[in-house]
Amino acid sequence: MIRLSNIRRSYRSAAGRESVLEGLDFELDEGEYVAIMGASGTGKSTLMNILGTLERPNGGEYIFRDKKVHRMGNGKLTLLRNEEIGFVFQNYQLIPNLSVYQNVLLPLSYKRKWQSKKRARVKRALAMVGLEGKLKAKPHQLSGGQKQRVAIARAIVNEPSLLLADEPTGSLDEKTTESILEIFDELHEHGVTIILITHDPEVAKRAERILHLKGGRIKEQAYETLQSL
Amino acid sequence: MRLFKVFKMALLGIWSNKFRVLLSIFGVVIGVFAVIALSAISLGVKDTVMKQMGGLGAEQIMVMPGRVLKDGGGAHNFLNGVSSLPSTLTNTDAEEIRKLESVESVTPMLETVGRIQYTKENEEPTSVEGMLVGTSGSYQGVFHTTLKEGRFFTEEEEANKDRVVVLGSGIHASLLNQKQELPEIDPAQQAEPEKTWWQKLLDRLTGSSVSAADAPAEEESLVGKEVTIQGETFTVIGVLESEATLGMTSDNSILMPVQNALEVTSTENLTSIYVKADSIENLDQAEKDVHAAVKLNHPETDFSTVKQTEMLDAIDTVTRILQVMLVGITATALVISGAGIMNVMVMSVRERTREIGIRKALGASTIEILFQFLFETILLCLAGGIIGLLLGYGFVTWWNGAITIFPLVLPMWVIQLALGSSILIGIVCGVYPAIKAAILQPSRALRFE
Ligand SMILES: Nc1ncnc2c1ncn2[C@@H]1O[C@H](COP(=O)(O)OP(=O)(O)OP(=O)(O)O)[C@@H](O)[C@H]1O
Ligand SMILES: [Mg+2]
Repeated sequence: MIRLSNIRRSYRSAAGRESVLEGLDFELDEGEYVAIMGASGTGKSTLMNILGTLERPNGGEYIFRDKKVHRMGNGKLTLLRNEEIGFVFQNYQLIPNLSVYQNVLLPLSYKRKWQSKKRARVKRALAMVGLEGKLKAKPHQLSGGQKQRVAIARAIVNEPSLLLADEPTGSLDEKTTESILEIFDELHEHGVTIILITHDPEVAKRAERILHLKGGRIKEQAYETLQSL
Repeated sequence: MRLFKVFKMALLGIWSNKFRVLLSIFGVVIGVFAVIALSAISLGVKDTVMKQMGGLGAEQIMVMPGRVLKDGGGAHNFLNGVSSLPSTLTNTDAEEIRKLESVESVTPMLETVGRIQYTKENEEPTSVEGMLVGTSGSYQGVFHTTLKEGRFFTEEEEANKDRVVVLGSGIHASLLNQKQELPEIDPAQQAEPEKTWWQKLLDRLTGSSVSAADAPAEEESLVGKEVTIQGETFTVIGVLESEATLGMTSDNSILMPVQNALEVTSTENLTSIYVKADSIENLDQAEKDVHAAVKLNHPETDFSTVKQTEMLDAIDTVTRILQVMLVGITATALVISGAGIMNVMVMSVRERTREIGIRKALGASTIEILFQFLFETILLCLAGGIIGLLLGYGFVTWWNGAITIFPLVLPMWVIQLALGSSILIGIVCGVYPAIKAAILQPSRALRFE
């Protein structure tokens, strides 16, 4: 489904150019559930932004379902992420003055094609994360776990084929973490391709594959070595 | 692009920043209110003056002191000439004009301030100041005045210099103590020739604001009684119907045959001469004749002849200039308030950087973000414009209900101008913040703290 080859990304900083991704290669099949681990600042979020077409690499190729993403213009990229990709950002990223319902509706309201039953879709997505009773609440009235679940509902409301989740359990307790991982399991069963970024080995273990980001490249990580991290 | 949805998002954006929004549109509200109120006033004045001038009739030619510079294009700045020079016109000129064949009637006018006094039996004398007008019987036809009682002076009385006087209704009422004093006319106003035409116009506009329209009906009348003007005794032969209008109201006039007025005030010069051509077709010829006739005694051409239509044109030009100035003032006010709105929007875009990042990540295109913020600015300005318009409309309605000097006019084009310019300001000031928002890179916007 996805192939990244020789992806390079660097940022200008005070001390010249800082290289984050240095010739990264990565492949992912349809319906896979992978976890990406790595120390803070190694470029996990950067990788997610590139996968999610929010950011262009300085070089390399990105193929998404046989389409050359690295050749696409901004308009096509916008379309691609609206239709195919669901985002769960590192820190919820809900719009504060919009209600839960309006936040979840966002991806649908930017759909190019006319869509029926938007309200029903939003409700279904919220029901899936167990928040159907909070339609009118504003983000500041929610707990961290609830916000994260709203963010997940928003990520799945447009029924994406690829779900990108950046630390979805980062600041949550065990019980909430478990409930969120169950949602991911269910999405996985429905055939959604999932890339989950996490620090937590227990969370990473839920995925089928674990990848390790280090030195600007990705390495396959064996299950057994996880404990040593 | 789903414009309607983007529009809704813009509305929502405004709604969630109510207070700041209110502050930022204040300038637009004031600007639009100012243009509505000021243009309603200027158009109202113009309308009223035009009606009065128009009432003179198109066959009228005015002979005025001072030389008018005719630029050949039809517009004349005769108004400069009118009041900046002392008059040298005399009754001889009027007589000279009267001899012309192309002329139907001649109405000499001497206008000055005079004091009139009436002593009722066994009472203290009442004295009021009014506009002393020396004229002839044709005055009635020129100014469309009607008599409430009595009669106007006859040609015979004019020729005999009979001491007869016709009073304006306000003067009449004041002499009978029927209502509060008429507003005093400052004699200095008359004596100062350096006053410009518009100052005089303003003086007249404001000076005539008290009308006798609401004076209680009284049986008592001065017709047949004797009054004293400048120390001489006159017999009142008529009283004019009151005119509750702006400008050339006759309410505070004291009318008498022109010869008497010249004598009583010991002057030799007329203020102006109104000449009626015998037909519209002959108007141009009549003007030439009149000019030639007056020139006999004024070889240096220190006078001008102006047709009523030219006068209307000139007033039109003047009010047009006023309106252009008004538009300029409005534009300035709106540009200043527009700068404020732009500032607020730039701040708003900065504050909502993350929101923009989220929207873009979730599928909003560059154009959609652009229009969302552009609509927001336009809506802001339009809201300000509408509030200003409502305030202006309220002002005009209140004025027309409470103030009777002259009615305000609020034509459609002023409303369109006000709303149109608020939208324009919205577009002009909205483009920059909107572009700033639209070109934000999503990943960077999401990282924004
Ligand atoms: N827009 C940017 N401009 C400059 N430097 C950037 C930018 N985005 C990321 N970086 C740098 O790239 C590196 C990787 O950042 P990134 O957010 O991808 O790390 P991460 O692996 O997600 O870390 P964490 O686990 O803490 O979320 C960091 O050193 C960061 O400073
Ligand atoms: Mg990160």
